[in-house]
Amino acid sequence: MSVGSRRSSSRRPRVGGRQGVLGLLLLPAASWYLLFLLAPLLVLAIVSFGQRAPNGGYEPGFSLDQYVNIGTRLTPIVNTVLLGLAGTIVCLLVAYPLAYALASRGGSWKTVLMALIVVPMWTSFLIRTYAWMFILGSNGIPSILEGLGFGPIQLLNTPFAVLLGIVYNYLPLMALPIYISLERLDHSMLEASRDLGAGSVATFRQVTFPLSAPGVISGCLLVFIPVMGEYLIPTLLGGGKTYFLGNALADLFLQSRNWPFGSALATAFVIAMLVVVGFYTWVTRRLSSPGREGSLL
Amino acid sequence: MARIEPERGTTAEDQRALERLLREGRISRRQFLGAAALGTTAAILAACAPSGGGSTVGPTGSAGSGGPKLGDTLNLATWPGYHDPADIQAFTDLTKVAVNVQVYGSTEEMEAKIRAGNSGIDVVVPSNYAVEGWVSDKLIEPLDYAKIPGFVRADWNSRFMDQSFDPGNKYTIPKNWGTTGIAYRSSKISEDITSWKQFFELAGTTYAGKAVIVDHQISSIGSAAVALGYSLNVSAPDELAAVEKMLIALKPKLYAITSDVQPPLRNLDSWMSIAWTGDGLQVGRDNPDGKYVVAADGGELWIDSYTVAADSPHRDAAYAFLDFILSPEIAAKETVFCLYPHANDKATALLPEDIRNNQIIYPTPDRLTKLEYASSATYNSAARAEMWARIKASA
Repeated sequence: MSVGSRRSSSRRPRVGGRQGVLGLLLLPAASWYLLFLLAPLLVLAIVSFGQRAPNGGYEPGFSLDQYVNIGTRLTPIVNTVLLGLAGTIVCLLVAYPLAYALASRGGSWKTVLMALIVVPMWTSFLIRTYAWMFILGSNGIPSILEGLGFGPIQLLNTPFAVLLGIVYNYLPLMALPIYISLERLDHSMLEASRDLGAGSVATFRQVTFPLSAPGVISGCLLVFIPVMGEYLIPTLLGGGKTYFLGNALADLFLQSRNWPFGSALATAFVIAMLVVVGFYTWVTRRLSSPGREGSLL
Repeated sequence: MARIEPERGTTAEDQRALERLLREGRISRRQFLGAAALGTTAAILAACAPSGGGSTVGPTGSAGSGGPKLGDTLNLATWPGYHDPADIQAFTDLTKVAVNVQVYGSTEEMEAKIRAGNSGIDVVVPSNYAVEGWVSDKLIEPLDYAKIPGFVRADWNSRFMDQSFDPGNKYTIPKNWGTTGIAYRSSKISEDITSWKQFFELAGTTYAGKAVIVDHQISSIGSAAVALGYSLNVSAPDELAAVEKMLIALKPKLYAITSDVQPPLRNLDSWMSIAWTGDGLQVGRDNPDGKYVVAADGGELWIDSYTVAADSPHRDAAYAFLDFILSPEIAAKETVFCLYPHANDKATALLPEDIRNNQIIYPTPDRLTKLEYASSATYNSAARAEMWARIKASA
C-alpha cells in the first residue's frame, strides 16, 4: 500500500536462494491467513448457499435464496451504517483537536498524556461498557440531572447511549493514527507556509490537515469497520432496542439457528467491508505524494 | 455407585450456602448475554466461584474403588450458577475425574457447540424444548440406565417425568425445573399483577418505559400470546400476526428487551419484567418489595435435563457423574445452591423448610396447572424466529 513497497519491486532479489529465504520468512504468516482467515471464509461462503435444516443448522444445497433474504435485514443494516458513520464523525471531531493539541503543545508531557488515552483500553471492553450501564442508568447521570431540576430523562437503552458507547470505546483508535501523522509533521513546511504569507488558518487548511489526512483516514477506518460488526454496545447500552447487524447475526446463529442465512449476511458484510477498504486504499494512494508514507495500515 | 452418609450435609451447611447467596447477590442463569464475545465468561465465573473445599461427601462409592476406568476429564455444558462447586469437587475427590464446567447463557448456545460436532462435551443440560430436535438429529444418546444404578424412578415426581418431549425419559433426566413469570417492584407498581394480560396492558400504558421483556422468542412471544388468550406455543399465522402487532406497538414503550433482567429491576430502571424463577427469587431476597408471580392465565413451565452427548469422549465418566449428581442427597445440595426446584421428591424432602415451602421456588401445584411446556416446534419454528427478528428490528 505504501510507496515503499512499490520501490522495493525495482530491487527484487536477484539470487534464487534469496527467494527461498523469503518464502520461509512468509510461511508462518501465509499459513496463518490460509488456515484462520481464508479457510473459515470459504466455509462461510459454502454454508451461505445451503438451507436451514428443519431443526436448525445447515443442510447442503445450492441456491441464492439466502442472499435474496438479506432484504429482510435492511433495518439492522441501516441502523449500523448510520450509527457507525455518526460514531466515526463524532470520534473524528473529538480526536482531531485532542491529537493536535497533544502533538503540537504536549511538550514533555506527550508520552504521559498519550498513555492516559491508551491505558483505559487495557481494561476489558465488556467491563468498561458495563460501567456505562450504571453511569447512564437512572441512579447515575439522570438522577443528577433530575436533582438539578430537569424532568425525568432516560439515557440508557437509547440510540444516544449506543453512540456514546461507540465514541467512548473507539476514540483511542481514532486519536492514535492522527496523533502519529501530526507528530511526524515536518515543521519546516509550517515555517515555509508562514514565510510565504499564510495565516494560521490557511496553514492548517493547506498544509497541516492535508498532511494529516492519511492518519484521519486510517482512524476513520479503524473505527468504522469494527463498529459495523459491533454486538456488545447495542446489546448493553441499547437494551436490545437498537438492533445492529451484529445482533441480527448473533440471533440468526443462535435464536433462529439459521446458519445459511447468517452466513449469507456475514458474507455480504465481508464483501461490503472489502469495498470500503478498497476505497480507502484508492484514496490514500491518491493522497500520498511521492516520498511520503501513505498509510498506517 | 456414589452414596453419601444421609445424615450429613443438611441444614447447617445449607443455611450457610443460602447466606452466601444472599450476601453475594449472585447472578442468575440466563443473565448471560448470548455472545461469542463473552468467551471469557467461563474463566470469570471460575475465578469468582467460591472454592470447592469443605465438602462433606465421603468417597464411599464403587466408582472410586475398582469400578470401570473413568479417565481423568469430564466436560459439562451447563448454565451459570447451576452447580455448587463443592458438589463438583466432591465428584472429583471421589472419582479423580476433573470436571470442566462450561457455562452457557442459553440452550441455543449449547446447541451451537454440540451441533458443530467434536465439541468434547460429555454432559449437556438443555431445556425441554430442544430435546426432540437433538434426539432426531442424533446429538444426544439414549441413556444407559445400567450405568446409573442410583436412579430410582419411584423417587421422581411424575409431573416432570415421562413428558412428551422425551417419553419414558429415554434421553433425559431432569436437573431442575422452573417457571417463567412476572417479577415486579411493588413499591412502584401499585397493582397486584396476576396475569400476562395485565402485565402487557400495564407495560404499554401506566408503566410505559418501565417494563422489560426477555430477549428470547419462546418466553416473550409465548407470554404475549397467553396475554391475548392464545397458547404459549401459538403457531397459527393469524394468531402469530396478532401477537406480532401487539409487540411491535409495545416495543417503543419498553425499557429494554434483554435477558439480563436483574440489573434494571434492582436499580429501579425497570419496575416489572418477564423473569425466570431464579431472577424473581434473587431480586426478592435483596429487595423487600421484589415480587415474583406465576401468571394466572398461563405461561411457561420448563425443565432443564441432563443428557449425554452422542459424541461424548468420556462416556463412562459422564454416567458416573449423573449417578453421583442425581442421588437425592447431592441433588438437594445442588438445589440449595441454585435455588431452582428439583423433580426428585426425595431430594425435595431433604431441603431446608424455607426452601421447600418457598412459594417462588415451589409454587403450589394449582399454580402450575395452566402452564405449558414450550414445544420443539416452537423452538425450531422459522416463522417465530423471523417474527422475533422483525419485532427487534422495528422502530
